[in-house]
Amino acid sequence: MKRLIGSRAVFFTVMGVLAAIYTLPLMWMVMSSFKTNSEIFSSPLSLPTSIDFSTWVDAWVVGNLGRYVFNSLFVTSSSVLVILVFSALAAYAFSVFDFNGKGILFAMFALGLLMPIQSYFIAQNSLFELLSIKGHRWTLIVPYAAMGIPLAIYLLKVYLDGVPRQLFDAARIDGASDMRMFRVLVLPMLRPGLATVAVFSILATWNEFLLALLYVTNDAYKTIPTGLLAFSSRYVTDYQLLFSALTIVTLPMIAIYVIFHRQVIAGITDGSLK
Amino acid sequence: MRAHRWFTPYLLVVPALALFTFAVLGPVMATGVFSFYEWDGFGVFTPVGFDNYVRAISDPIFRASFVHVAIYIALTIVLEVGAGLFLAGMVTSRPKGTGFFRVAFFIPVMLPLVVVAVVWGFVYNPDFGLINGALEAIGLGSLTNVWLGDTRTALIAVSIVSGWVFAGFFMAIFYAAINQIPSEISEAARIDGASEIQTFWKVKVPMIRNVIEIAILLAVTGGFQSFDLFFVLTNGGPYGATEIPTTYLVKVVFRNQNVGYGSAMAMVMTATVLAMGAVYMWVRKRADVEGGTA
Repeated sequence: MKRLIGSRAVFFTVMGVLAAIYTLPLMWMVMSSFKTNSEIFSSPLSLPTSIDFSTWVDAWVVGNLGRYVFNSLFVTSSSVLVILVFSALAAYAFSVFDFNGKGILFAMFALGLLMPIQSYFIAQNSLFELLSIKGHRWTLIVPYAAMGIPLAIYLLKVYLDGVPRQLFDAARIDGASDMRMFRVLVLPMLRPGLATVAVFSILATWNEFLLALLYVTNDAYKTIPTGLLAFSSRYVTDYQLLFSALTIVTLPMIAIYVIFHRQVIAGITDGSLK
Repeated sequence: MRAHRWFTPYLLVVPALALFTFAVLGPVMATGVFSFYEWDGFGVFTPVGFDNYVRAISDPIFRASFVHVAIYIALTIVLEVGAGLFLAGMVTSRPKGTGFFRVAFFIPVMLPLVVVAVVWGFVYNPDFGLINGALEAIGLGSLTNVWLGDTRTALIAVSIVSGWVFAGFFMAIFYAAINQIPSEISEAARIDGASEIQTFWKVKVPMIRNVIEIAILLAVTGGFQSFDLFFVLTNGGPYGATEIPTTYLVKVVFRNQNVGYGSAMAMVMTATVLAMGAVYMWVRKRADVEGGTA
């Protein structure tokens, strides 16, 4: 009993200290958003003298942060919708049906799982430039959806492969057409898989930076990563404003994550382990 | 099963295939073709054979970028996978009361790396940064440094940020794996008098060996493809001390308009990533064979 109490105290002390150090950068960011520039410089570690949210409002308005948030929401939701629909259809074909060329088609997507972004973004940029795909509000949906598809097909196929074949046979005997089988049998079975894919794809597209940097230079269409970067180079020395912008962008994300942490952690770990 | 109509499977695959071929697979092949030409992105293509490849492997900056990324990967294996394993060991050592920590350590994974980088740029700021401020506060003012502007510390500083982000990610992966171990096994170890630390090293770690290997593979291939943190924190500086393959590649292609040469570098990088995967598969296969005969 004594040993248990001892180890418990040790556990909570060690983990408590670690968690404090770990979250310090973010807490410091929030604290600094309430301090004036001179306070930030003269005493970087001090607590703010007063909590005044007006700079948060300033940062939101001056920095047009609403626009970046909207663009990120638009690009992410569209990309993830395309990924889910296209991948569910393809996974259905790969898991349930036999057809000529199935092996080679699936191998093409498997290749996509291995290929790093460096292997295609240069020519992708030239292609998008040639076809004037660059510089629109919807530009990023094209590469994001395309990049998310291989992993989504793979994960969804694994889910469907776990469904007993007799179910499909029974549906076929009942006279279900190919599309009816998809609606009444495949989609309901895929729900947990689709949730995993959604979590994984949302995070990947929401946070993507390299292509966003290269393809969208018009400030009106920038997403959060590139938008915040532009903001931070525009107001390079207005530290309070910068800390405020960082805070109002990160806190909602952390809040959403804390609410859905179970699904988020499960989705990301499943997705990365493939 | 055969489809009701023979063409159904093709109709199902076509949307995904068309988009994927258009935006990824086609560009992969085109990048390969570009690598054999001299091209500035607008003018004429001049075929140059393997010249771009010869130039790449003898380019001192490109070579140095591989050394930097190798150091970075080695550091992140410790700071991400090692720290993640430690945290997973801690949170699985107790049956209850660990949820808060698991959620807290995972927070940075959720944030865009660019946002993380901007925040940490401030943490490392020489004038008002958290680190120099803390050093001053505890009387170690002599240790303050321009962390990201010093060639000796810049690469380590970026690696620490990476560790801060991904340690929680690997913790979550290891946590899930350890929880898959039947509880009787760790119970048995405990009844035999093994301490919590012994149970962790002698029972849990060997049982999740596969997952640890995958984690290292992820850290290696992921680290090799890094861009965001480096671009925002140092963009290769100071004096090239943190130039990694992708930051250099972006400069060559998008600043110097050297599309052909950049494509050759991109192909070398791709081959490196695929080789890493192949080495992993080979090691895995050998381990399986040995395990089978033992």
